[in-house]
Amino acid sequence: VQPPEKPLQAEEWNRLRESFRSPEVFEEVMFNSMVRCNSPIDVAKSLLTHVAKSNGDIAYNLLIKYLALCVQQGQTSEIRDVYEIMKIRFKILESGAYNLLIRGLSNSDQWRMALTLLEEVKKIMIPSRTNYESCIKAASRHQEMNLAFELYHEMLAKDLVPTLDVLQSFFDFSRGMKDAELQKELFGILLYLRENQIYPHKTFMRSIKLWFESIPGGNWRGYLTNIKESGQCPVCNRQLEDSDLTEEEYNNLRERIIRDVIHGTDTFRKTSPQEFEAFQTFVENRLPFDIVIDGLNVSHIKPRKMHCENLFDAVNCLAKDNGRLLVLGRKHMLINSSNWKRGIMKEMQSKADFFFAENISEDDAFLLYATLQSGKHCKFVTRDFFRDHKACLSNSLTRHLFRKWQLIHCVKSKKMFLSVFIQQPALRYDCVVQTTGDTWHIPYKDTFEEKYSYEVPRKWLCIQQKL
Amino acid sequence: MQSANMLLKKILRSSVLPFAAQHGMKKDLFPLSRTLSLSLCLKQDKSCNPSEKLDLDVWKKVMKSGFQEVDEMGSEHKELTTLAGARELLEMWRLAGRLVPENISEEQLKAFMECPSKSAKKKYLKYLYLKELYKKNDKRKMDEKRERRLQTQEQDAKPQETKRNSFICLWANSMDKAYNWRAAQSMIFGQPLVFDMSYEKEMSVREVANTVKQIVLSEGSNRRSVDPFHIHFCNLKDDSLYHKEFIKHYREAWGRLLITATEQCYTDIFPKEKLIYLTADSPKVMKTFDHNKIYIVGSMVDKSIKTGVSLARAKRLGLETAALPLEKYLLWNCGAKNLTLDQMMQILLTLKDTGDWKAALEFVPKRKYYGFVSKPVHELKKTLNLINTLKLGVSHKEVRKQFAKSYSKKLMQK
Repeated sequence: VQPPEKPLQAEEWNRLRESFRSPEVFEEVMFNSMVRCNSPIDVAKSLLTHVAKSNGDIAYNLLIKYLALCVQQGQTSEIRDVYEIMKIRFKILESGAYNLLIRGLSNSDQWRMALTLLEEVKKIMIPSRTNYESCIKAASRHQEMNLAFELYHEMLAKDLVPTLDVLQSFFDFSRGMKDAELQKELFGILLYLRENQIYPHKTFMRSIKLWFESIPGGNWRGYLTNIKESGQCPVCNRQLEDSDLTEEEYNNLRERIIRDVIHGTDTFRKTSPQEFEAFQTFVENRLPFDIVIDGLNVSHIKPRKMHCENLFDAVNCLAKDNGRLLVLGRKHMLINSSNWKRGIMKEMQSKADFFFAENISEDDAFLLYATLQSGKHCKFVTRDFFRDHKACLSNSLTRHLFRKWQLIHCVKSKKMFLSVFIQQPALRYDCVVQTTGDTWHIPYKDTFEEKYSYEVPRKWLCIQQKL
Repeated sequence: MQSANMLLKKILRSSVLPFAAQHGMKKDLFPLSRTLSLSLCLKQDKSCNPSEKLDLDVWKKVMKSGFQEVDEMGSEHKELTTLAGARELLEMWRLAGRLVPENISEEQLKAFMECPSKSAKKKYLKYLYLKELYKKNDKRKMDEKRERRLQTQEQDAKPQETKRNSFICLWANSMDKAYNWRAAQSMIFGQPLVFDMSYEKEMSVREVANTVKQIVLSEGSNRRSVDPFHIHFCNLKDDSLYHKEFIKHYREAWGRLLITATEQCYTDIFPKEKLIYLTADSPKVMKTFDHNKIYIVGSMVDKSIKTGVSLARAKRLGLETAALPLEKYLLWNCGAKNLTLDQMMQILLTLKDTGDWKAALEFVPKRKYYGFVSKPVHELKKTLNLINTLKLGVSHKEVRKQFAKSYSKKLMQK
């Protein structure tokens, strides 16, 4: 239905209502379309008046919808009136109303009332992150940075994830302030980005840059740049952090993979204890490998070719300039068939070590184990992203370690004209927000939208302090 | 008009005029607002012609009046217990039009509050809401039915001569007796069928409840069949969640059920070489139904499909496994290949009686497949390829892609 353009009289509303298909939901539908069309609130008021006169009462859901309309148009005094009426009529309010009220009031000069409402919400439930977002933005807009940070820390303590918008507003509104405490807090946000591997987008990056440059007496300068292959920043010539996992991280990851991915809830799900033991001794006897190949995965690269041919090309190509190869496969590869020729298999086995798992076992788990066991230099070849295995890891920290390690150690194979493998150079430097005290390096996304999770940004903001 | 009103309100609020005067004053002040609005925005003014005075804030008065006492009451009740507070919140949500049940018991309220996240809470409420809705609808239908029956009874109330019937009227009671007789026979001579009750840890409470519901259904269809299985519930621990749910469903009939329930594992009761574990993950496909084997069905509902759990169990015990030949007989459409327990039971019963795969696989839900495969799959694939290349000129690769959509990789490799 199309809402009318001007306030209507009771009779006119009645007429409209009767012409509507299902009169019992007429008001609701009408209010919905008013919110959608952003009708003037006088029209909504006239409908409310009509309802109040004919029923002597207005249902809560209509009030909420009216409130939504007021919030949409920033009618602060109306929002307050609705709140007062709701307070009189109902013992408590629910989250939907509070969300609207907080959003509406935080954008007005009565933003402090939004804070008291936030306190009220806390009594009945955990406020949502948008509740906090509105309040924090309101506080920082009015230069109450301490209050904003208090709310921010409260939010983090409740395991709510702040939006990039909120973080950006901190930088936007702290521009030009000289306050050591404030500076520390903002550095804290940058470290939060580092710890959670969040990459700011372009506008956010600009806010950070402007804030740094605005610190009175700070002498900070920011430059946009691309980091060299070697991990050196072309602006300040500093070397970025190494991407290798530390010894401790590496061992931690290896143990976790054995525990969560290979054994999991039941060792029998992916392999069997006997088989795993056999594999362990096989690997121990031949360590270390330089490249571990996921045989079945690689053999499917070119669908027109025989499976064993594909694998043969890959093994030949990799064997030329690398040391020890390990190919993982399944037992069915050994049976002579149209796709797996015994002669070719024999020839390959002279060039690389092979391990054939049971047909119903998962070879990916073995691939991970063999690579991790061989040491940090070892790489593996597959097109698989191992999302399912990553999901098996029990906590997010290890999951991140896994991803980091995977980026470095996975040799993605791209097929060129005749099955020549390009080895994508893995990044040598770590792609996170990092600092040395007098410099900051911040990777940023060029666009707002999320990149593929396995891709990392290539553009950087280099900030340095000239003393 | 609007801005004039706002101005007015500000004047009223600024305590120059006492609140009590508001209602009285407003009428007198209105002409003032009209002149103001005339000068401020002429355009809006056309919308209201002076003859019909529209007081847009009347609803506020209506809402405020008569509820002052309620407010005082409310302030007394400010200190609500958490449980009552939650109930209050739910009521407000219901008023706001969310999917929330009208009545909620203390237990459900506690379960609601224990939900770990907001989305879990929302889901639980929706579940309760739908449950309530179904119950209400059922009740309404029952009432309607009763009314209709009463009406027809009134119409037929006239005395009629008793009908003579050469058939004996079989009441449910005597049917039950016949069924039980068959089930009792199956307990002595019947082929065993094992339900493996060792998956409690793998499931949520609701999944266990669903599992038991499905088993109750399967037990029912088994009892009514011509030649029932001798059902074994193995690994069924007393006081386990399974056990509690069974008692909830069967009540006192649980003790009289013509099945074997035991804490023992099937490997302790039957010789290992006779056991076959049925699981969708099995690499082996069942060809025929063997009357000398003992089939095991895992009593598990896995809504978040957990692959390989039952296969792992069979592997650990060194048992033979088998999967239904779904791909061989059906052109699969979508959906997981794991079937519900009652569907499994129906399929096994039909196989046992007839050995006809087509008849048995009729029990697979229709939405999961397009139709039956008349020829072996590789022949079908060949003709499909041929038709496509001849008719459409589609290259081999694309045909393959299309085919891969309806067939799993497994089949392609064979």
